[in-house]
Amino acid sequence: MGRRGYGGYAAGALVAGAVLWSLVTSDMDPSRLLSAGPRIADFLGRMLPPDPSVMKEIIQGSAETLRIAILGTLGAVILSLPLAILASETMVPAAVHRPVRMVLALIRAIPLILVAMLMVGAVGLGPLPGIIAIAFHATGMLAKFYAEAVDGVSRAPIAALESAGAGPLLRLRHAIWPQVAPVIARDTIFRFELNLRESLILGIVGAGGIGFYIQTYVRSFQYDKAASVTIAVIVMVIAIETLNVALRRRFS
Amino acid sequence: MIPAVQIDDLAFSHPGDTTPTIDGLSLTIPTGESVAILGPSGAGKTTLLTLLDGRLRRWQGRVSILGLALDPDAPPPLSRRADSGFIFQEFALVERSTVLRNVLNGRLGRMGVLRALLGRPSAHDLSVARAAMTDCGIADLANRRVDSLSGGQRQRVAIARCLAQEPRLILADEPISNLDPARATEILTLLTHAARKRGATTIFTSHQPDLARRFADRIVGLRNGRIVVAAATADLTEDATAALYELNDAARAPQLQVIS
Repeated sequence: MGRRGYGGYAAGALVAGAVLWSLVTSDMDPSRLLSAGPRIADFLGRMLPPDPSVMKEIIQGSAETLRIAILGTLGAVILSLPLAILASETMVPAAVHRPVRMVLALIRAIPLILVAMLMVGAVGLGPLPGIIAIAFHATGMLAKFYAEAVDGVSRAPIAALESAGAGPLLRLRHAIWPQVAPVIARDTIFRFELNLRESLILGIVGAGGIGFYIQTYVRSFQYDKAASVTIAVIVMVIAIETLNVALRRRFS
Repeated sequence: MIPAVQIDDLAFSHPGDTTPTIDGLSLTIPTGESVAILGPSGAGKTTLLTLLDGRLRRWQGRVSILGLALDPDAPPPLSRRADSGFIFQEFALVERSTVLRNVLNGRLGRMGVLRALLGRPSAHDLSVARAAMTDCGIADLANRRVDSLSGGQRQRVAIARCLAQEPRLILADEPISNLDPARATEILTLLTHAARKRGATTIFTSHQPDLARRFADRIVGLRNGRIVVAAATADLTEDATAALYELNDAARAPQLQVIS
């Protein structure tokens, strides 16, 4: 048997150990699971039928979530365009793009909910901390994607336009932009979808949007109202996903 | 009459190379001619064409294009670049754009800057572009995206873009490499006809002496950056013809002595 075989056994033992450790130390009393059944049934029963009287709150909350996602995405696009140039391997030296890429990776590593909580502390409750948190969080991914779009540009058409007598600005407009623009559009739409999904939970920490109502209704045991809001959230996510699939096909 | 290209004692080495890519080359190409440059890979054919297009720096010697001297230390002014058109071996098209957009890109050096920047070609620009597409047999592909075309169609787009530029000198880098003889004949017919119709001088590089003799008024044989044969096709001696055919063979067996 080769070294790889021993490695396989070691990895297996490690995984088994991790699972056992988690099971033993997590206080998993089977009796608690059994007694949870009736309570879950009761919980679901109280969600049905969903209370449609909260339509006004749903519309208000959804509109605010949508606004947070739109403005947060806009903020991320504005931050990402210059950062993408600084993170590009082909436009700037390694001394610039390496540290910039490291900062972007760091930003991606910070969970959105944490940024939102810090922003609520900094600027107070409402949609503003949500917008700032989304813009900051999304920039980590969007600037990286844009930089990859810039680095993926084929050089040959640029030389061809130079040969035809086109100056630097015209080469940017007619050789680089047509290659980069559809990729940027596709990445931005993709990030907007993620922003909308993620901003649904911002209300839980007081950073605005429809999440606030779910939080409020669950805490006050109004499960039928919480159910209505949840259905609205699901409908919204499916709608935006459908829209995005259609849009992205256009920019392939 | 001013020659289309006048080269005196030209030398060029790629940075870091010990042997020169072009080594003491002198050549005169009369206006309106079609010229084939033959030679094995690495003979300096593409380097010479790129240099004539004004895209190489730090060479020695004197080079005049259409009566105006090229500067070895600075790119030619944009207004002059449009006078020489380059057909790239790998076509160098903007893949996501339409055929018409790509062909119109050849007009960028001929339009006003504002028109070019806004992408609003004049009626004249459009008619020149359409004439170029018709000559290349791709008029019906105008609104197709380039990345949906076959290799042969893309080559025609590349040629049409060059023609739309209304160049007085056409530089074609290996226009018939990797083409079967029928296709190669088709492309060279199209290219030389369109150039003659527009009064442009054409220089193309090739590995194929047969087709070069059929389509070129003048043939230049190149090896190791030096001219081995240079003559009007009509005046080619038997020895010179034999030397042309040996160019590619010699590349495969570098120990053979140069015949001159």
